[in-house]
Amino acid sequence: MNTKGVDFNSDKVLAREFLSNFADNNGEAKYLNILQDVANHKTRSVQIDLEDLIEYKDLDEEFLRRVTENTRRYIGIFADAIDELMPEPTEAFIDDDHDILMTQRSDEGTEGADGSDPRQKMPPEIRRFFEVYIRASSKGRPFTIREVKASNIGQLVRIAGIVTRCSDVKPLMQVAVYTCEDCGFEIYQEVTARVFMPLFECPSRRCVTNKSKGNVILQLRASKFLRFQEAKIQELSEHVPKGHIPRTMTVHLRGELTRKVAPGDVVELSGIFLPIPYVGFRAMRAGLVADTYLEAMSVTHFKKKYEEYELIGDEEEQIKRLAEDGDIYDKLARSLAPEIFGHEDIKKALLLLLVGAPHRTLKDGMKIRGDLHICLMGDPGVAKSQLLKHIINVAPRGVYTTGKGSSGVGLTAAVQKDPVTNEMVLEGGALVLSDMGICAIDEFDKMDESDRTSIHEVMEQQTVSIAKAGITTSLNARTAVLAAANPAWGRYDLRRTPAENINLPPALLSRFDLLWLILDRADMDNDLEMARHVVYVHQNKESPALGFTPLEPSLLRAYISTARRLSPTVPRELEEYIATAYSSIRQEEAKSTTPHSYTTVRTLLSILRISAALARLRFSETVAQSDVDEALRLMQMSKFSLYSDDRQRSGLDAISDIYSILRDEAARSSRMDVNYRDALNWISRKGYSEAQLKECLEEYAALNVWQIHPQTFDIKFIDA
Amino acid sequence: MVGPQYDLLANPLGAVRSTFDTAIVSGSDPTSLNGRDWGAVDLFRHFLSDQSQLSQVPLLTPSTIRFVKPNTLVRYRGMIQDMLGNEFYVGVYKDGSVWRTNKFTDISQYPIPMDSSAETRIWERRLLYCVPVPGLNPWAEPSPEAVGNLSMDWASEQREKRRRGDDESSDMTVDGDEVEGSPNTKRMREGECPSLASQPQGAVPEIAGSSTSLMHGLSGNSASCIVKIYDAPESELKLNDIFEFVGILTSDPELQEDNTDTDLSNGFGEDPLHHFPPNKLQVPRLHCLIHRKLSVLDFLQNKPVIEPKPDLVKGIREALLRHLSAVLGNDDIAAHFMLLHLLSKVQARVDALAVGKFSVNFTCFSKETASIFGKQLNLAIKNLVPFTHCIPLTVEYLNTASLAPKKNYDTNRLETGVLQLAEDSHLIVDETQLDVGTLNSVGVENARLLKNLMELQKVEYDFKYYKMEMATDVQLLVLSEGKSNILPADVIVPIRPSATNSSEDVAAENLEAWRWYLASVRQLPHCFESETQKMVESDLVAAIQADRSLNTQDLSRLVTMGRLMCLSFGETTMSLEHWQMAKELERLRRERLK
Repeated sequence: MNTKGVDFNSDKVLAREFLSNFADNNGEAKYLNILQDVANHKTRSVQIDLEDLIEYKDLDEEFLRRVTENTRRYIGIFADAIDELMPEPTEAFIDDDHDILMTQRSDEGTEGADGSDPRQKMPPEIRRFFEVYIRASSKGRPFTIREVKASNIGQLVRIAGIVTRCSDVKPLMQVAVYTCEDCGFEIYQEVTARVFMPLFECPSRRCVTNKSKGNVILQLRASKFLRFQEAKIQELSEHVPKGHIPRTMTVHLRGELTRKVAPGDVVELSGIFLPIPYVGFRAMRAGLVADTYLEAMSVTHFKKKYEEYELIGDEEEQIKRLAEDGDIYDKLARSLAPEIFGHEDIKKALLLLLVGAPHRTLKDGMKIRGDLHICLMGDPGVAKSQLLKHIINVAPRGVYTTGKGSSGVGLTAAVQKDPVTNEMVLEGGALVLSDMGICAIDEFDKMDESDRTSIHEVMEQQTVSIAKAGITTSLNARTAVLAAANPAWGRYDLRRTPAENINLPPALLSRFDLLWLILDRADMDNDLEMARHVVYVHQNKESPALGFTPLEPSLLRAYISTARRLSPTVPRELEEYIATAYSSIRQEEAKSTTPHSYTTVRTLLSILRISAALARLRFSETVAQSDVDEALRLMQMSKFSLYSDDRQRSGLDAISDIYSILRDEAARSSRMDVNYRDALNWISRKGYSEAQLKECLEEYAALNVWQIHPQTFDIKFIDA
Repeated sequence: MVGPQYDLLANPLGAVRSTFDTAIVSGSDPTSLNGRDWGAVDLFRHFLSDQSQLSQVPLLTPSTIRFVKPNTLVRYRGMIQDMLGNEFYVGVYKDGSVWRTNKFTDISQYPIPMDSSAETRIWERRLLYCVPVPGLNPWAEPSPEAVGNLSMDWASEQREKRRRGDDESSDMTVDGDEVEGSPNTKRMREGECPSLASQPQGAVPEIAGSSTSLMHGLSGNSASCIVKIYDAPESELKLNDIFEFVGILTSDPELQEDNTDTDLSNGFGEDPLHHFPPNKLQVPRLHCLIHRKLSVLDFLQNKPVIEPKPDLVKGIREALLRHLSAVLGNDDIAAHFMLLHLLSKVQARVDALAVGKFSVNFTCFSKETASIFGKQLNLAIKNLVPFTHCIPLTVEYLNTASLAPKKNYDTNRLETGVLQLAEDSHLIVDETQLDVGTLNSVGVENARLLKNLMELQKVEYDFKYYKMEMATDVQLLVLSEGKSNILPADVIVPIRPSATNSSEDVAAENLEAWRWYLASVRQLPHCFESETQKMVESDLVAAIQADRSLNTQDLSRLVTMGRLMCLSFGETTMSLEHWQMAKELERLRRERLK
């Protein structure tokens, strides 16, 4: 025992040295500043970060290990060290009851000289008006409740979970103070457990020697209480192995940590895992079973916004590796809903929706939205809803709803009468709830008329205005809308025009950056593919290999949130390029007798938004020409999904059309070499496939019009 | 190896301790043992690997619990209904200079020294709450001779002891009710109409009828049991699995009596067992030494130990088909579908799809015919598969029943629902009694749950703050007048009965053969050969071309039918002949739909 005592004393010295010598990144003595605040009654909690201890220059590894493995003891040691270091207050503050009591006590303390009796000595706890917490290092993955084992007892652990129950905050006695009727001394009793045995006889020397058995009275005013709250946390659903039930754990919250959690909160706690020994009769009988609880040391709420997303573990490195890998755009897009076959371009568009473009506020206060809106339209059973649900899963904040809405609040917002207080309250609908996130609206065509009018506002101004029952206000709804709709007659009717099939007013349609039509077309290859898939699944009891390993949704989320921190700008050189592209689309439309689309200024903004999102994906601060090209291609592809039959209108066959496109583009930039990537970009913008391009390349190479690089397929025109 | 020093059946703890002492003597360090086995489990495993020894171990059932002595070896068969988390206990401690262990017991043999200097090591064990398999049919219950022999002098001694225990327990009931309210009274209070409480009993006779009622599984002479698991890895024991546990039975009334102590300490209980209904004295605890997962085959009484040979299988198949056809009013096509249905099993889960499920919807029942055929069908199925259920779907039932299991945070227990079923259960949903009516929010939720079960073979368990999907494997049969829209089954078979036979008597040996056939053929593996695979593929493509409305699920169902058809003949590879048969069956069905 004796050796241990010495050990703890030397550790107290270590603790004191750490507190007074530790300097944070700015070179300031972090803990001395905190102590000064404590002395000035500005704060009550002294939080010691284990991470600081790890970074501390004179780190004693053994000391660190002891602190993590016997944390409760070391809280006391740190508190003792803080007592010794506590500076004088530098600011004046109003004395409260406690201080007055303390001054009196210290005056008395000097004269009560016969107080060698430990019960009469004032315990340090009663003098302290601070609480010490030791916070676990936030590096690494937190434990799940399941992983906390018997070997962790007494140690500092970090656990993630959802709060399921919370008790009321109750006072917990820390030091009981009695006064003796006979001798008048104050008697202190430290309480360490939840149950304690009150004193009945005065233990002071005067009473004991006089054998007067002085009657002691508990002084509630003078005793020290702590706020105390008990909570239960449960494992998060994603941590529960298949076929198991989530585990729960009791958490004790004290002092400043109370009232920090409410049922339903997803939290990360660091705390000490401790057993509660049974007391009394139960201990004798059931001495071999111990209940356990977590003595909370810190509470962190999980953030659900991109902006506040914190990278965990090696994610930063993985993202860096991904970004260096190149081809990130394809890779990320494929990892969205990997179980849904095909639809590459749609997935690309959805990826861009997740990334979004930065919001812009002009000098005159006008706001230009950065969120992309996408509408998927198509036959029933083409996995629209699955795509929507998957996107919501990937997005850190997303709401999935149907056009009809699930409650009386609908999509936007409603004023409702609170049944208890009879007050009018504003309740946000799905669009308001998904502020700074994504709102996926299924069955968009079946939306209520009232919601449809307000959705115009949401999609461009990104607010919801309400003027009802004396409440006029506007709520923020900075959300990206992802809508899915069925064609007008349930199924796409090929005999009718697209406009007839799409049963949405142009004013609403123009607000979507991209509109995609997914049709269930009869196709021998597709059918065979489907049959093969079904048989494969039955034979091998798994889906066919995807040919790639999809990225984890968590990594996807991390990558996207990192990308979202950038706000790329359009460089001056590109302005001209974009302007030409825009005007050529307008002109093409003017030429055509039956314009299918309404190319407006909104389209230009869409191009800019999509390009900016693409630049974000590359982690670039400036938009490049390739981004604009890809944006134009996507927009063109989305149009072609609607009007694919119009390709033949030019009268040229596909191969010669591709040739003329390449020739024109090359002539425009007066180059002789054309990059294969660029070529693919150009032709796909006009709605041709890669196979057709290859065919064209071969055919014209045979005619000696150009040379094709055997590996890279780059084109070199042979000057005639 | 020398014979066991102790009587492993009557004094298993002695054996545990002696192996522990041997291990310590031979140099194991108790402080670093960390709960791992030191040879005790091996000893028992070796001992019980002999079938005759295993049958000596008495089986714990509501009827035998009175005769079984505590601290002896018992067997228990049940489904894992809830997992109560970990329990920490003093695994080893130093009593003077001797190390002692508390593994496999609730009470230490010698008092643990209470002063803090004592050397103790805390170990952990997992608590599982097990109930008898829901919907277990009488024929699958263990026969008296399988229960194991019990000497009668134990019984009388035990009975007297029990009487004392009962007195105590009745006292407890009273004050327990006041303190925490048993689930029964609570439910009565919540649902103001008494029908809510009575509904599950009245409407689901299969569940409530036997003494194995889940709702009241904790009360009365329940056969539920808390199993404490020591050495098994966590992944081995899953929720809703059926296991046979062999372990040491402890049931110490005194241990649980003083749990009122903890009430004063806080707002809610800390001990997971604390919130069991008052008469939990009846809930025995089993310290598990050995566990074994059971399949349907283990529930057959007389196992004919024969290989499923094709010619033998074919004979049984024909007989069973005749029987099913008789039950269905001489409707051969329906009987074929019924057979395939009874053989179906979820083979794998690919993406969201459950491959191999084959739910059937018999339509064209009127209220009158449904009562006749429904009853017959129900009876026939009950006689063929070990675990069966029947849900008579009415608006009232949907609005009041608790189908999904739900976590009750007040008691920290998972309250079971009708849909918490063991693997390989059979469920009939009788929709013919459904009338026009309004569903409340519970009803909508229940309808959604049933639909999810039908389409994905998954049940959402309600954990209030989130829902967790649990994969199930339940054969679903829907009876309805028209096509059921609430429950979209894989195939819809309009039934065309031509005669109403009064239920014929079936010879017991026939039933046994059929049960064996269904249970063993279902388990057979199955594969494709590349030749037939090509054939099947091209047939599927042809099917799509003929009917554009077919989707992946329809194709998958077709392949499943072909596979089940082959299985029904005891074949493990897809043969052309049977694939054609399946196609023909599908054609006949489609004709009926027109």
